[in-house]
Amino acid sequence: MAQNAGVELHIHQLEKSYGHLAVLRKINLNIKSGEFVAIVGKSGCGKSTLLRHISGLEKATAGGIKQNQHALKGLNDQARIMFQDARLLPWLSVLENTGVGLGLEKGWKNRAYWALQQVGLEQRAEDWPAILSGGQKQRIALARALASKPKLMLLDEPLGALDALTRMEMQSLIEELWLEQQFTAILVTHDMNEAITLADRVILIEEGAVKLDLPVDLQRPRNRLNPAFAELEEELLANVLGKVRIHQYEPRLRKVESK
Amino acid sequence: MKETSGNIYNRLAPWIIPALLLAGWQLFAMNESISGSILPPPLEVVQTGISMAASGDLWTHIYISFSRAIIGFVIGGGLGIIIGMLNGVYPFAEKHLDTTVQMLRNIPHLALIPLIILWFGVGEESKIVLVAIGVFFPIYINTYHGIRSVDKGLIEMGKVYRLSRWHLFSKIILPGALSSILVGIRYALGTMWVTLIVAETIAASSGIGYMSNNAREFMQLDIVVLAILLYAILGKAADSLAKLLEGKLLKWNPVYQKNE
Repeated sequence: MAQNAGVELHIHQLEKSYGHLAVLRKINLNIKSGEFVAIVGKSGCGKSTLLRHISGLEKATAGGIKQNQHALKGLNDQARIMFQDARLLPWLSVLENTGVGLGLEKGWKNRAYWALQQVGLEQRAEDWPAILSGGQKQRIALARALASKPKLMLLDEPLGALDALTRMEMQSLIEELWLEQQFTAILVTHDMNEAITLADRVILIEEGAVKLDLPVDLQRPRNRLNPAFAELEEELLANVLGKVRIHQYEPRLRKVESK
Repeated sequence: MKETSGNIYNRLAPWIIPALLLAGWQLFAMNESISGSILPPPLEVVQTGISMAASGDLWTHIYISFSRAIIGFVIGGGLGIIIGMLNGVYPFAEKHLDTTVQMLRNIPHLALIPLIILWFGVGEESKIVLVAIGVFFPIYINTYHGIRSVDKGLIEMGKVYRLSRWHLFSKIILPGALSSILVGIRYALGTMWVTLIVAETIAASSGIGYMSNNAREFMQLDIVVLAILLYAILGKAADSLAKLLEGKLLKWNPVYQKNE
């Protein structure tokens, strides 16, 4: 049980800047084993950059991340990423693409097939990715990420490009698999509704810093019609938009129009 | 039933215009609108072809030209692919090799004929070397470009998923570059024939180019035209082979999937 559980993460004073541009400013964040955390914020706020640091694709300017008490260095072995685009290899079959999640190392076939079964696409195993729909492609990407039974799943707006219905289906699939396999999950999204549907905690990042850390204590599976759900969503939205700012922008907009 | 007759038509369609051209040519030659000393009628060319094939001369020439083409192509193309991949994958190699290759590329390779003949004589080597040089550059450029333009997102994905260096190359970089490499190969096949024809016409004692040039001296117009037709057929055959290869290797790509 213990070795199957997700990793825990301690992010300590994490900073990242590109030249003079500070993208992340002293981020402190603790994520428990098996927790589902959503990171939200406007585009360009640094939420994807934070995720890339956790995956080890980026190097911090200062501060660091500890995973299960060990400092992260280089690519994170425990983590698997789902990107916004599925990033399937068009020249490999669906099964082989899933096998990429296992490094195509010996014996990948059975486990890849198992992963495909988890997302319900085992009957498409021999097809080329090109003939699949967008939702199916993301399912394959999910199977690929699941295949190695990761202890940390990083979801970088994986559902952003899908239509509303497919997105809801994928959300419940992700929730189901997370409940079953108990990995730690970090979801970057711009969709407040999605964040509250899935996460135990929603972190709002603004200009590279944590602005809000909002626990979501609702029973799963979550009901979007629940008043408590709507209340949380409203609170989150108000924080993201920052009511004062909207008023500040209005006169500027008018100026542009009158030109 | 309808479908099969449609299929037959689709297969024949590309050959309608060549067939009409041939028929017109034969017709004009028969009513003497075109003099036989300018262009012999196609049937005469075919007869010449048949008699030369029967005597074995034709096959010898074709065989020699063909083997020169293939050997030169394999050497030049192989080097083009290897160096193109090297420069595409390793920045170190690119920094040290690419400028040199680009400089050499801008020399028309046919301009090297006098030098090559002085170095290698008029034997087989000079033709093979020329073909190799001719096919090297298009294949090099397209291989290099293909590898550089592989989707960076896919390579990043491969790294996150811990693919070994070999798998990163064989499952992501190489297949990603393949369609571009095949374009280079098809282009190089054209260069291959051009180079060979010129080389055989200028300095050779065998091969289709020699056969044609030799016939010119004796005013054997039918043989000259036969040689030209042979080049058209061989060129088309090479291109079809490349196309077949494309269809096989790129079958994952919807562009190459046949509608059934």
